[in-house]
Amino acid sequence: MTRRFLTHEEMASLVAELVAAGTRVIAPVCAKDNAEQIDYMPIRKFEDAKLGVSLPRRSLKEFFLPPSEVLLYYVQTKDAVDIREVPTEPPPQVILGAMPCDAAALEVVDKVMSWGYRDELWFGRRESTTIVTLLCGVMDSSCLCTTVGLGPDSSRGSDVLLVPVEGGFAARLVTSKGEVLLADRGQAVNEALQNSAEAVQSEARKKLKQTLPAIPAEFADWLSKNFDNPVWKTLALRCHGCGACAAFCPTCHCFDIVDEHDSAEEGSRRRNWDSCQTSKFTVHSSGHNPRQSQSERFRQRMQHKFSIYPKRFEEILCTGCGRCSRICPGGMDLPEILGSLLAMAETKPEGSAQ
Amino acid sequence: MNLYQPYLMRIKEITDETVDTRTLKLEFKDPGVAESFQFSSGQFGEYSVFGEGESTFCIASPPTRKGYIECSFKATGKVTQALRRLAVGDTVGFRGPYGNYFPLENMKGHSIVFIAGGIGLAPVRCLIWNVLDLRDQFKDVTIVYGARSVGDLVYKRELEEWSKRSDLKLCLAVDPGGETPDWKGLVARIPTAVEQTVTAAEDTFAVICGPPIMIKFTLPVLDKLGFPAERIYTTLENRMKCGLGKCGRCNIGSTYVCKDGPVFSAAQIREMPQEF
Repeated sequence: MTRRFLTHEEMASLVAELVAAGTRVIAPVCAKDNAEQIDYMPIRKFEDAKLGVSLPRRSLKEFFLPPSEVLLYYVQTKDAVDIREVPTEPPPQVILGAMPCDAAALEVVDKVMSWGYRDELWFGRRESTTIVTLLCGVMDSSCLCTTVGLGPDSSRGSDVLLVPVEGGFAARLVTSKGEVLLADRGQAVNEALQNSAEAVQSEARKKLKQTLPAIPAEFADWLSKNFDNPVWKTLALRCHGCGACAAFCPTCHCFDIVDEHDSAEEGSRRRNWDSCQTSKFTVHSSGHNPRQSQSERFRQRMQHKFSIYPKRFEEILCTGCGRCSRICPGGMDLPEILGSLLAMAETKPEGSAQ
Repeated sequence: MNLYQPYLMRIKEITDETVDTRTLKLEFKDPGVAESFQFSSGQFGEYSVFGEGESTFCIASPPTRKGYIECSFKATGKVTQALRRLAVGDTVGFRGPYGNYFPLENMKGHSIVFIAGGIGLAPVRCLIWNVLDLRDQFKDVTIVYGARSVGDLVYKRELEEWSKRSDLKLCLAVDPGGETPDWKGLVARIPTAVEQTVTAAEDTFAVICGPPIMIKFTLPVLDKLGFPAERIYTTLENRMKCGLGKCGRCNIGSTYVCKDGPVFSAAQIREMPQEF
């Protein structure tokens, strides 16, 4: 695997060249509405990027599955309907300073987006995007990346993993897209640089305050066996069903499809983010709703992430970013909830009704 | 053409089945698609009115009848009400076929009992015509169909046609109070009608579609008659948006109705979490 060392100046000229060539470069920057907060936004120059300050408020999901995305445009007259297709090959873009959990989430969601039918809109953006991830040094008590098999220096879903070292970054070129972006830049990483990069990585792992154990493989089965366990009712008591967790989650990908007309003749068909936490998500046209209570909807979200998705795709549908816990107005805390479920699974591995 | 882009279809014929249920006969506008389009009984599609949205229904016509497909729907929401406003010659969108299908090949050489309630006859009707169009490959065919009232029975012209055929047994039923003075069928609910009509389960498949409450009370009757759960098939009708396994809406536990279904055996349904 190729490793390169880039100084801050070399990184700045990379960004300048990309921007000059018309490539969109997205990086963590100060939020427009709140300088204390970080958002992923397009940048014009490297100096605008606020790398390693804090976890951006929202994940990278919106750059691959926009909150509202046009699937087609239509024009209808009395006798005919014309469909105008949307492009599925967007121009190239680079994400600089992605969080490891956000980069990994994209690779996890790839599984459902290619399940049987390939979602060209998703993969068009995936393929045209190069993801340069930065080692995470901003974890807090809501984080649980190590519980789901990742870590602050995980390179899953990344094309490049940057480790900050004295004077610049040690870059590990993980994929061919990463090679294309950086192989000819900076200088080779010598042994001293490599050692200091490894020291930074091991320091980042030590800094973790995550106390939960890694989720064992049997947990997916335990959850499905405990579908009727009354614990779901207790755990969901603080859930308002607002769906904020899903909106902020890097792996929640559920969507609605709706038409919106701009005039009597023209309009678009769109897919909009949706959430299994809202009461109308599953309601039938007859009025019957298979998930009537909030605890059933909360159970669905947990089962989907930690049982259904692992069973179908051998992936946990969570990368441990902790945004759901930080944003929840009811104080639902995923590490706490998962902790109690994992403890139950350990004491009653066969599951039970009580 | 991305995977959410529909084919365009022209409404060729409109039939009002009941006061609120309508059948559309649709033709592909693109002759190439019309030629190559194939599906199997039990599969479904996303039907759309541009400017209103998409709605999920089974394909109600059999794959043995080429050149068109039919869908039957009740006007209950935004899209179905918009579908009702369309006239012959108007354009609708169609994505599909999606999902699995009835195990027709396994059913060949055996008898079949079809049981349907209300608009639940739509997916069953697809298979009934499929079987009737290949009639010599099956043994006895029995159809038990019922609705709340005589006015709620769908596909009346076909019920008439089936009642005249000697190669099938048809039992029609309406709920008590739903009969008219000239009603000649049973006045009974579906489980009772099945009890009175179906005599043997040996070498027979059962296909049952209708309201969940009807299915719930008919399954024990089939069990008593000796139908093993592996030979009873139904379709699940969960709310869907994409039909492709992506939008995350139709699952029951780890089963996705759009991809693993909509056709399931009673044995498979028994294994699912009870979240219907």
